[in-house]
Amino acid sequence: MPTAMANRYQDRIELLQGTLDMLVLQTLQWGPQHGYGIGAAIRAKSGELLKVETGSLYPALHRLERQGWVKSEWKLSEAGQRAKYYRLTLAGKKQLASEADRWSQLTRAIAGIMSPTVEES
Amino acid sequence: MAGWMGRKQRNHDLDDEIAAHMAMAERDLGSRAAARRDFGNEALVKEVTRSMWGFGSVERLWQDLRYGARSLRKSPGFTAVVVLTLALGIGANSAIYSVMRAALAPLRIPQAERVVMVSSANAQRGWHQFPVSIPDYRDWQASGVFSGLAAFDDTNRNLRLNDRAERVSGVRVTRELFDSIGVHARLGRDLTAADYQAAAEPVAILSDGLWRARFGADPTVINRRVVIDGAPSTIVGVLPREFPKIGKDPLYTPLVFPVDQISDRGTRHFGVVGRLADGVSLEAARARLKDVSIRLEKQAPASNTGLRAEVDLLEDAYQQDARAITTVLVGAVGFVLLIACANIASLVLARGSARTREMTIRAALGAGGWRLARQLLTENLLLALLGGAAAIAPAWGAIQFIAGFKMEELPNPENIVLDWRVLVFNLVLSLMTGILVGLAPAWQVRRLRVADSLKAAGRSLSGSLHQRLRSGLVIAEIALTLVLLVGAGLMIRTFMRLRASYPGYQAANVITMRVALADRQYGDPQHQAAFFAEVLNRVRALSAVTNAAAIDELPGTDTIHATGLRFPDRPEVRPEDVPLALTNSVSGAYFEAMRIPLLRGRYLTDANVQSKPQVAVIDDWTAKRHWPNQDPVGRFFKTGGATPPVQVVGIVGNVDPGIVVTVLKGRMAQVYFPAAQRPRPAMALVVRTAADPAAAGVAVGDIVRQVDRDQPVFEVRTMDAVRAASSAPQQLTTFLLGGFAVVALLLAVIGIYGVVAYSVGRRTREFGIRMSLGAQPGDVITLVVRGGLRLTALGIILGLSGAVGLTRLLDSLLYGVKATDPGTFGVAAAVLGSAALIAGWAPARRATRIDPVIALKDE
Repeated sequence: MPTAMANRYQDRIELLQGTLDMLVLQTLQWGPQHGYGIGAAIRAKSGELLKVETGSLYPALHRLERQGWVKSEWKLSEAGQRAKYYRLTLAGKKQLASEADRWSQLTRAIAGIMSPTVEES
Repeated sequence: MAGWMGRKQRNHDLDDEIAAHMAMAERDLGSRAAARRDFGNEALVKEVTRSMWGFGSVERLWQDLRYGARSLRKSPGFTAVVVLTLALGIGANSAIYSVMRAALAPLRIPQAERVVMVSSANAQRGWHQFPVSIPDYRDWQASGVFSGLAAFDDTNRNLRLNDRAERVSGVRVTRELFDSIGVHARLGRDLTAADYQAAAEPVAILSDGLWRARFGADPTVINRRVVIDGAPSTIVGVLPREFPKIGKDPLYTPLVFPVDQISDRGTRHFGVVGRLADGVSLEAARARLKDVSIRLEKQAPASNTGLRAEVDLLEDAYQQDARAITTVLVGAVGFVLLIACANIASLVLARGSARTREMTIRAALGAGGWRLARQLLTENLLLALLGGAAAIAPAWGAIQFIAGFKMEELPNPENIVLDWRVLVFNLVLSLMTGILVGLAPAWQVRRLRVADSLKAAGRSLSGSLHQRLRSGLVIAEIALTLVLLVGAGLMIRTFMRLRASYPGYQAANVITMRVALADRQYGDPQHQAAFFAEVLNRVRALSAVTNAAAIDELPGTDTIHATGLRFPDRPEVRPEDVPLALTNSVSGAYFEAMRIPLLRGRYLTDANVQSKPQVAVIDDWTAKRHWPNQDPVGRFFKTGGATPPVQVVGIVGNVDPGIVVTVLKGRMAQVYFPAAQRPRPAMALVVRTAADPAAAGVAVGDIVRQVDRDQPVFEVRTMDAVRAASSAPQQLTTFLLGGFAVVALLLAVIGIYGVVAYSVGRRTREFGIRMSLGAQPGDVITLVVRGGLRLTALGIILGLSGAVGLTRLLDSLLYGVKATDPGTFGVAAAVLGSAALIAGWAPARRATRIDPVIALKDE
């Protein structure tokens, strides 16, 4: 059924969306950055493990902006090039805090299942 | 959220952002190619990013419209047919309704529901809305149910401005009229009590129409001097447009009751209009006047036996005339609209099922049910708008055409404007049809299995339901079309009968005009006769004139004079059995001028003057009817009780009195008196010319002016035009019904074609198999055509039964043909059947050209 399929697709994206959004917001905590820079930072910080596709990054950035968590501005980069810089808004900071919180809850929960502490009697 | 203007800006912005990314990547990776590889599909990224923006609802609508427009452009045939259908249906409907609104427009006077018209009625004698006598009027006035009751009569007057005399409609009114109606003069003043005194200066008030037409809406017209019926008079007021029309653009003058009629209850001449007193309802007024009438019956049995007062709203009196015609037209045009909607529904359904595949693909790509529906709705909206816009031209054209007929029943032709409200209503109607029907494919999609539908196309379940629906629609269309065809056929036959029937005279090369002598100047009947004799003498002297004569009323006009016929040598009959005869006063060589043949005896001559015995000429029908086995020539009859007997001196050929008379009263006797013995103040001159009648008309008009410049000539028309005018209502109805029938036929043909073509399309495989198994093209054609004929037959049967019931409505307009005339029904069915055959032919032929090999493959 078309609707069911669409839902599954949505679900998949949502999972990824949530995590990617959090990563982007976290990156911007270090200061305003343009799309290329954000992608590079995430790759670097994750030890080359996470390569964010532009097809996910830019939609995410624009979505975040629409939701009011980041704000964009055209500025000159260090190399003297014009680029669109994104920075965290106050609302974005709050969102980041709550998402980070949820993430740690999630990881704790999963860790609890995957490597349970064996209670030796 | 950026609107669509901002969208362009945002696209540029995004392009720049991506370009900047690319530049940086190129710098880092070394080459442009590497950067591009690293980036991925640029266009796709932009697309997905853009979809994150979300759209304002305006933008969404715009997108849908653009998509819809493109989609419509891709199927030009469908779009063209639907728009044309809508244009015709909406246009015709709007035109007719606009005409109706003008014709049935309510009176714009204060509290119009309190203003009534009172007339005499006598059930025993079959009187209905009869005029009123003066004593009856006074008694009703005294009854207390009216706050004001006015009497009026309409006469025509000769109005001379400067040197030009013209015939105008005139209404003489009592003082109460303006208060009763509640509308007062716009310029100047109303009539006051002073104007009704014996020695008062003659004054007149203009109606709005007269003011505009003859006085050029000149505001300085007040206190202008004019000559009315030869007497100097002053214009003291102009009425506003809202004042209800009595006659055509009349002149209002004071009505002073003639002394000899004040106590004469038997002479009924006046119209009566009044306003109900406060607190008196229409029913109460009727009851009270019934009591008064009963009292008067006892008081004056000779004149008032069986007489009752009839009280009706003034509004209703106006609307009655228009109703008969407009009912028929509204019905006809309603049919056309129904057929148009059915056609559109059918087409949209067909297109919808063809797009099922497209819809399911879009659903699979994530479009919700609402999104799909919205898309379809928008397309239909676009179609409706296009159709509505296209409808304006035909609607306007139709209105001009109808107004051009200038019919009595449709007053105020200048008020007939294209009512935009009607247009909008019709638009909404067709929109709703389109929406209802267009939603069907969207609805189907919700329940569709994607996999199934993407497989071999056309095998979806929706197909057969659609087919049945469409077939039903076509059957309905055919039925409606048949009714219209029958109606049009009947009207055409009536019209042909009217026009083709030999009227009894030769109308070619005859010019006519009316002259009406003012009562004031020509009170003496001998003076009247002398005037016309003098005019005719001078006219005969003109070189172009073959014959000149005069008659009081031209044959075929709406005005008739009738009297009872009595025979002195036969026993008296009861009053209600006295036969009626149409009477005419003729001057000069009328019969020769009109080439009416003499069958026996002699024509009337100018030698039949007042002093000699009274004579008359009768027509053949009268001779056969009232003197069945005798020679009427030399015998006598009487018209009134006290008049001397009249001798029949000749019998002439029958002359057609005109449809109005024949339909309403049946065939009556016709007698002709010499004008010298029965003079009339108003007559029509009948002049036969050698060549161009119009030029002679001018010359005759000049002669009349020479004899008396105060007496205008009016209604200058050739006899052919007079005859044509008498059938104007039939002509209009015939044209309109005929037009509608043709439109309906076209639409039905399109509908049948559509259904048959669609069915052929669906059965392509079947035909392919049949042909590969040896079926001949002829067999396939028969198969297809048979299906179409079956539909048609059902529709025709349905239509025939409907027509039998509905053509009854045409009764008052028909002449010489019954409403259930089997010949017309048969012809209509045959025409429709052949049209259906033709409609099915093309798809049938296409079916034979199916290459079996291709058909058997999967599409």
